[in-house]
Order: sequence, then structure tokens, then C-alpha cells
Amino acid sequence: MDEALRAVADPTRRAILRLVRDREMPAGEIARQFPTISRPAVSQHLRVLADAGLVEMRPDGNHRLYRWQPDGLRDAAAFLEEMWADRLALLKAAAEREEWPERAGATRRNRRPNDKRNDKRNDKEKKRR
Amino acid sequence: MTEVETRVIEQTVRIRARPETVWRYWTDPRRMCDWWGAAAELDPRPGGTCRVEMGGGPVMRGEFLELVPHERIVFSFGWEPTDGAPAIAPSSTRVEVTLADDDGDTIMTLRHSGIPASQADHHVAGWGHFLPLLAAAAAAAD
Repeated sequence: MDEALRAVADPTRRAILRLVRDREMPAGEIARQFPTISRPAVSQHLRVLADAGLVEMRPDGNHRLYRWQPDGLRDAAAFLEEMWADRLALLKAAAEREEWPERAGATRRNRRPNDKRNDKRNDKEKKRR
Repeated sequence: MTEVETRVIEQTVRIRARPETVWRYWTDPRRMCDWWGAAAELDPRPGGTCRVEMGGGPVMRGEFLELVPHERIVFSFGWEPTDGAPAIAPSSTRVEVTLADDDGDTIMTLRHSGIPASQADHHVAGWGHFLPLLAAAAAAAD
């Protein structure tokens, strides 16, 4: 999974992104919006967002100011490229799961010797013989 | 008239299942929901609806354009203009899927063309653009 995708998978990080969407905000003020989360945990979230290029940090004296980085979100083609890669992998897995039981008895047996469905199939074949 | 620059995506996957099986994952709503979307409305004939609702809210809408059973599916692709959906109008891009039999496996190639080369307008598209989709994709991938 892409770094940006991982970064927004977390609800706290999505909430942080919403906070810094329209204005720059110091880390301390961001942390205060999340009273149930420890300050180091918030810092860690900010680091993940910065590493993914979704926010940019600007030091200002003793403060670190964060702001949403619009270019961090990919363009339509990059998004679709990744969407299809993820989805086609799931399609492949689903189609193979569906077909395996009925093909297990044939030449494919060697590829997945530990598949229990294959064993059942093989037992049936033995009985038939 | 303004010439709009577009881009093409192409991906190929080998699947250890027959083309007939893979075909059903594009044409049967229940099977499609195993890999894409939380709900799907599919009418697999030329001109028929192809609508897939993502878990996170955005909805893909297009229509089937060509179907050659077990070999080729073409449909148009866009997002319904809901909050936070990317700015690709329904049916404005084209997806071609080809299924080729290779000794009982399927070589599946997907070609998605007509994709706008840039996010048209940052302040129209704005922040909401990809976030809900990213979040939905992330949730699905977990």
C-alpha cells in the first residue's frame, strides 16, 4: 500500500488533516484537540503525515507549524493506477479461491500440497478408483 | 474547443482460474463485491448500467459498451458527483478488460484510458478530492 494511503487509514490522522486543511497550526494546538491521545502519539501521527507528504512542517522559533500539503495527494491517474492494482489483486484472489476446489485434482495438485480442499478431492478420487 | 490531455493506465495480471470464472467477477454483482465496492448494479449488455458503490461513499458510474463473453469487456467509467468524489464525470473514461486463456490460466489485461492528466481545478476539487477514496481503499485493504 502507498504511504499516503497508509497515512490516511488512521482516523486520528484524518482528523489532524482536517484541522490543518485551511490554516497552519502549531503541534501543541493540534495535540490539544486530542485530549485522549498522548502528546508523543500525536507527534508520531504528525511525523507519519509529513513523511507521506500530506502535511508540511515549518519551524517557527520554538514551535513547529503544520499545514496540509495539497500536492501530497496524487493526481487522478496515480490514484487509479493504485486502485486498480489493489482491486485486481483482490479479484485474482477471489477467482482463484472459487476455482481451486474443482481444479485441485488435476495438474495443479503439486502447487499447493497443503490445501485441505485438495486432500478431500484426492480422497474422493481414491474412493472412485 | 480546448484539447484535454489524457492518460492511460495498463495493468496485466495472471490468474490461476479460467476466463469463464474471471468473467463472472466482472458481470455478477455478488462476485464483483468480493473485490470492488460494497454494492454493485450491473446490467452486462451494451448500454447497460455499470454502477459500483465504494464502501466509503463515492460511486463509480458508467455503462457497458462491449461484451465478448469470457474474452473482453469494455465499460465507461466515472464518479458520481458526490461530496469528495474525484472530478471524473460519470462515463467520461473508458476501461477495457481482456481475458486470454493460457493453459487454463487467465491473462487479464486492464486498460483504462481517457483519464484527465491533471486535477483540473484545485479549488473546485479541493481537499475532499481523494481523501474519502483513499480512506475507503485503505479500509478495504486492511
